[in-house]
Amino acid sequence: MSRALSAAVLGVIYAFLLLPLVAVVAASLTAGELMRVPPEGLSLKWFQRFLASETFREALLLSLQVALTTVVVTVVLATLAALCHRALSRRLAASFRLAMTLPLLLPELLTAIGLLFFLNSIGLGKTLTGLQVAHVVIAFPFAFLAIVAALEQVDPAMEEASASLGAGGFETFRRVLLPLARPGMLTGGLFAFIVSFDMFTISLLLKPVGGNTLPLALFDFLTYDFDPTAAAAATLSVLFAVIGVVAIERMVGLRRAF
Amino acid sequence: MTQIDIIGLTKRYGTTLALDGVTLQAREGELVSLLGPSGCGKTTTLRCIAGFMDPDGGDILADGASVTDLPPQRRDFGVVFQNYALFPHLTVFENVAYGLGVRRVPKAEQRTRVAEALAMVRLQGLEDRLPRALSGGQQQRVALARALVIRPRLLLLDEPLANLDARLREEVRWLIRDVQQRARITAFYVTHDQAEAMALSDRIAVMKAGRVAQFATPREIYQRPAEAYVARFTGEANIIPVRPRDRTAGGGFHVPFGGVVLPVSGVEGIRPGDAAMLMLRPEALSITDPGAPDAIPALVLGAAFLGAALACEVSLADGMRLRLQASPHGTVQPGMTVGLAVDTAHAWLMPDIPQ
Ligand SMILES: Nc1ncnc2c1ncn2[C@@H]1O[C@H](COP(=O)(O)OP(=O)(O)OP(=O)(O)O)[C@@H](O)[C@H]1O
Ligand SMILES: [Mg+2]
Repeated sequence: MSRALSAAVLGVIYAFLLLPLVAVVAASLTAGELMRVPPEGLSLKWFQRFLASETFREALLLSLQVALTTVVVTVVLATLAALCHRALSRRLAASFRLAMTLPLLLPELLTAIGLLFFLNSIGLGKTLTGLQVAHVVIAFPFAFLAIVAALEQVDPAMEEASASLGAGGFETFRRVLLPLARPGMLTGGLFAFIVSFDMFTISLLLKPVGGNTLPLALFDFLTYDFDPTAAAAATLSVLFAVIGVVAIERMVGLRRAF
Repeated sequence: MTQIDIIGLTKRYGTTLALDGVTLQAREGELVSLLGPSGCGKTTTLRCIAGFMDPDGGDILADGASVTDLPPQRRDFGVVFQNYALFPHLTVFENVAYGLGVRRVPKAEQRTRVAEALAMVRLQGLEDRLPRALSGGQQQRVALARALVIRPRLLLLDEPLANLDARLREEVRWLIRDVQQRARITAFYVTHDQAEAMALSDRIAVMKAGRVAQFATPREIYQRPAEAYVARFTGEANIIPVRPRDRTAGGGFHVPFGGVVLPVSGVEGIRPGDAAMLMLRPEALSITDPGAPDAIPALVLGAAFLGAALACEVSLADGMRLRLQASPHGTVQPGMTVGLAVDTAHAWLMPDIPQ
């Protein structure tokens, strides 16, 4: 009885989460001219239309470039910060953690305005580098928390065991901490990718002149048009995110399995 | 083979004084146990020796040279941790070879030395397993092999058997002793199990609140404890407050007890007339005929059959309760009045030191 009930509740939750997604994917596959569900016939023509549009192509490439750079820079910085967090005493670690996750606690718009003033004052306003910096700032706390969580699973005696066997700090990092932090780094990288790929408010305020990321291009497009190209763009975004999740699941999952 | 001297180690955590002048020594090839109740500073001492923690004062010498300022990786001390602390992402082979890889030992030599170390701890055929696929006993063997393979100057073990079940504990205990003696490695061994310390050690340091209460061989600790705290912690003991009357010709004391006067040896420095503590191990007492000369009359309160012996509790005329072991073939029963004979060779007089 209660099992049936919990199954029903779960079903409602899943439906709530997945229905918009299903609707967008369905709408993108339509053969008709209007964005609607259910689609009128099936075709991939809106995907063709999307890829044929130079605006969208450039936006997609820029988004991918920014997201991948964000992943690399964020994971490196977050790993260093997480190692620092691990080495601190408990009390200091708590303050450090709070400081590192501040961008997560402030409203995104506030951070964006702050960054706008800051980047302008150092001459990086409205540049790609400036946008890149902003993406790293926003993605950093997610990666940091993922790596801290992974390192928290690591027995504090690991470093001591390693040192007693003759390994210095760097050797211990390379042989023990890095391999054990890897699941967290992968998860953190995935978060960073998704956060960057989806970022809107920050990108809107800080985008370089003439350079649109995919969410911005989509927003511009929807201001004037309402055809299923938008649904195709959204579907592709989701697809990239899913591919990322599956790839990382595989890598981390494989490591855990043997 | 290294001699280790620990001189006046102190360590404070905030306001708690965890170590209050610990002085110890392990001679070449000697196994020294640190024995004491929870919180007395055993782990803190061991971590200072390993270099995981800086003492606030005191010095640690290896063959006369101070290592106090060396980081752990430069001390060449092997450590076996209570929870094993094996590297979870490395196989058994890679775990054991870790210290060799760090030292850039050639691969071929690594293989022979790892095989030797694993043979020494009697663990073969599991080289490719990950630690999580091993039992507790197997993990402990890997941890031991990993510490031994670097041929450390000193082996440090912090309650290495605490996470094993009783049967395995016995087995691994003998393995540790055997390996330590064959490799002739100087070792410090932390435990709060007195039987373990007795069985393994060349010498035992009984610790009390950050200090060493007594540092001596197991036999001496058991038979001639420096104070009642040590006597209680190293086995069952009847501790009786007494006042020695005067010295015997042999350098001992005449101690009035239960209506008789016992000639007992004891710790140097006790003065006749002062308050002191008489230790009677259960084996120092036996049951005789109440009419026998010098027998102390006693009432049997309880008796429990243990197989090899009968554990009895008796009370004397003044209400003092004593425990002893009687022959399992006798007819001792609760409520009986018996005589107690004291074997003064197993009695010992100690100063009255607050616990
Ligand atoms: N990190 C710490 N911070 C504060 N106090 C500590 C810390 N570690 C140990 N202590 C205190 O120092 C004293 C000695 O601790 P230690 O761990 O050396 O005891 P131990 O003899 O190993 O005990 P156990 O048998 O429980 O392992 C204890 O009073 C303990 O509470
Ligand atoms: Mg301890």
